[in-house]
Amino acid sequence: MLKKLYLVLALVMVAALLLPACAPAAPDCASADVFCVGLVTDVGKIDDKSFNQSTWEGVQQAKEEGVADQVQYIETTDAKDYDKNIATFADANYDVIVTVGFALGEASNAAAAKYPEVDFIGVDQFVEWPFDDDASNDLANFAGLNFPEDNAGFLVGALAAMMSESGKIGSVCGTDAVPPVWRFGEGYRAGAAYIDPAVEVTVVYHSDVGFDKTFTDPEWGAATANSMIDKGVDVIFGAGGKTGNGAVTAAAQRGVYAIGVDTDQYLTLPEAAPRLLSSAMKLLTPGTFDLIKLSKEGSFPSGNYYGSAGYAPFHDLENEVPAEVKTKMEEINAGLLDGSITTGVPPVKPE
Amino acid sequence: MPEIDTKQAPQSGLSGIIKEAINSPLLVPLLAILTAMVVGGVIIAMVGGNPFAAYLGLAQGAFGSFKALSETAVWASPYIFAGLAVALAFKGGLFNIGAEGQLALGAVTSAWVGYALPDMLGITLPPILHISLTIGAGILAGALWAAIPGALKAYTGGHEVINTIMMNYIALNMVSFLLNGPMKDRTPGNVIARTPEIAESARIPIIFEGLRVHWGFVLALFIAFLAWWLLWKTTVGFEIRTVGMNPDAAKYAGINVKRTIVLTMALSGLLAGMAGAIEVTGLNYRHELGFSIGYGFDAIAIALLGKTHPLGVVLAAILFAGMRNGGTRMQFLTQIPVDIISVIQALILLFVAADAIIRYIYRIKVEEERVTLTRGWGG
Repeated sequence: MLKKLYLVLALVMVAALLLPACAPAAPDCASADVFCVGLVTDVGKIDDKSFNQSTWEGVQQAKEEGVADQVQYIETTDAKDYDKNIATFADANYDVIVTVGFALGEASNAAAAKYPEVDFIGVDQFVEWPFDDDASNDLANFAGLNFPEDNAGFLVGALAAMMSESGKIGSVCGTDAVPPVWRFGEGYRAGAAYIDPAVEVTVVYHSDVGFDKTFTDPEWGAATANSMIDKGVDVIFGAGGKTGNGAVTAAAQRGVYAIGVDTDQYLTLPEAAPRLLSSAMKLLTPGTFDLIKLSKEGSFPSGNYYGSAGYAPFHDLENEVPAEVKTKMEEINAGLLDGSITTGVPPVKPE
Repeated sequence: MPEIDTKQAPQSGLSGIIKEAINSPLLVPLLAILTAMVVGGVIIAMVGGNPFAAYLGLAQGAFGSFKALSETAVWASPYIFAGLAVALAFKGGLFNIGAEGQLALGAVTSAWVGYALPDMLGITLPPILHISLTIGAGILAGALWAAIPGALKAYTGGHEVINTIMMNYIALNMVSFLLNGPMKDRTPGNVIARTPEIAESARIPIIFEGLRVHWGFVLALFIAFLAWWLLWKTTVGFEIRTVGMNPDAAKYAGINVKRTIVLTMALSGLLAGMAGAIEVTGLNYRHELGFSIGYGFDAIAIALLGKTHPLGVVLAAILFAGMRNGGTRMQFLTQIPVDIISVIQALILLFVAADAIIRYIYRIKVEEERVTLTRGWGG
């Protein structure tokens, strides 16, 4: 027994001696020549096949294209650590900090005020201060990266209405307390009505649970999608992290059309790919990349910065989508872009 | 620590010290931590990371600077309260899985007293009174909520494991309803399910300017001492421990077993509620759905690792706090997923709970008294 104990102790000591030698040699972000970009996730994972991942890909693209020299991420495990995780990057003299998700808005704004030399990109963080008259709230080093989700929802809503045979389409969303989610759901409704007001649209928000659960409940998403399909719905649009993924996967398994969200989920949800009609896309990766590039060039925009929305290719279902539907989709997309078509969805859900 | 057998004459010399160390109740937990770190290191190496760099980052992030120590203390504060809650129930032979719900209820109740009371009374309360009332409301909520499964156990025989799990769902959904509905922060532009900020007068002051560590941490240490005093130096504590060890003997000795069971659960819930109240008054200044997730379950591991002794709980809570806090720096430096922390914590729990594994690996003979945790279904 004692011999074993000594052996273990000896191993620990050797390990302790080796420790300093193994410390990684990170580039010095304090140097003006080294451009460093850090990313802080919401309570969620970097490889969520959706939001965090697409934003992180934008950061990685910045590194690949030589805009950034050093990129790093931190996953948040508890909401009380938002400040701490942002400060970890700021204290290491990072040049740009990307915070992903609406819930980090307040922490990001506070950090932007505290660290004026760092540029902050708040993904999905709509800020009010550009619209008030009080200049003391304005932050030159904060850009909220937002997207016209209602346009993306409108596009796939129109597509769903054109592709449905039963005349019933559905959407399974995260909580409507998050404005972008609400805009996806309502845009979907508006898009379907634009094609044919008689189409029956069911939009269900997972607002009955907390922020910790609403985007990470694939079982609920699948169950809700299944109950819609049982009632004759034949196109399901899932919008809300893993909850939406659950709905999309369930729809694909039942053989009805599924529509993904945020990114082209054909690439990220292989189990749903064969029945994935399209995805309502927020072009997160280019949006993040563009802002990082602007920061590097010294022309960082302050306030709300708008990325683009779109719909993903039909992939496996290319042949099932009639040519006139494809033409119509292109028309609608062009109309939304030039402003001749509007979704009529306000930025925030009215109280 | 009172568990160390002091009757045995200490042996002189190095071998005596080593023998004493081997017989100490700290041995199995320490070896469990060590073994879990080694296994965790192997896992890190398997996924392509450098375990030494990872652990260096972890240690730096947990204890490497004043800021790191402060953040570890911030994490440790609720962990100590919640760990004590579960440990105290174990001492009474009860398994309180409901700390999670009791904690959330304590947090939301104390948040309510924190923000609503001054407006209702129309006066500014002196801080000492308002803080006491705010924490008091939180611990009362936790105590009452936990007393229910206690009473069900004492008077109907309904097992507390099932009932506390069930009541977690009720509590968490209730809190979710309150935060989304009646207690939601109505500040324009707010869409997050959270309460308004509590009044300045309800906030526990921080200890050092610029660091987040607050007097709640000191309070936690004091309450741990109080819990030890209660369990080993008072009649109530003796009754709790006696009922925990053998309810039949306790009954024969004239102890009111039913009352003691309810009291044990209430005290346990009180401590869990305090964990929630301390997060609200000392750190977050409000309650929000993303806060304090899983502390009640981490508390079970902390209580077991601490061998259900208050001092052990404090040490285990600081260890777990350091791991949760240092995980950020570990990920920042090495990009090893923070999930590895949960893996290591689970391994520690596994090795502590199934201590036969540790005893077998390190060839330790069973000399110490086994800790009785809970009784079976028939009890």
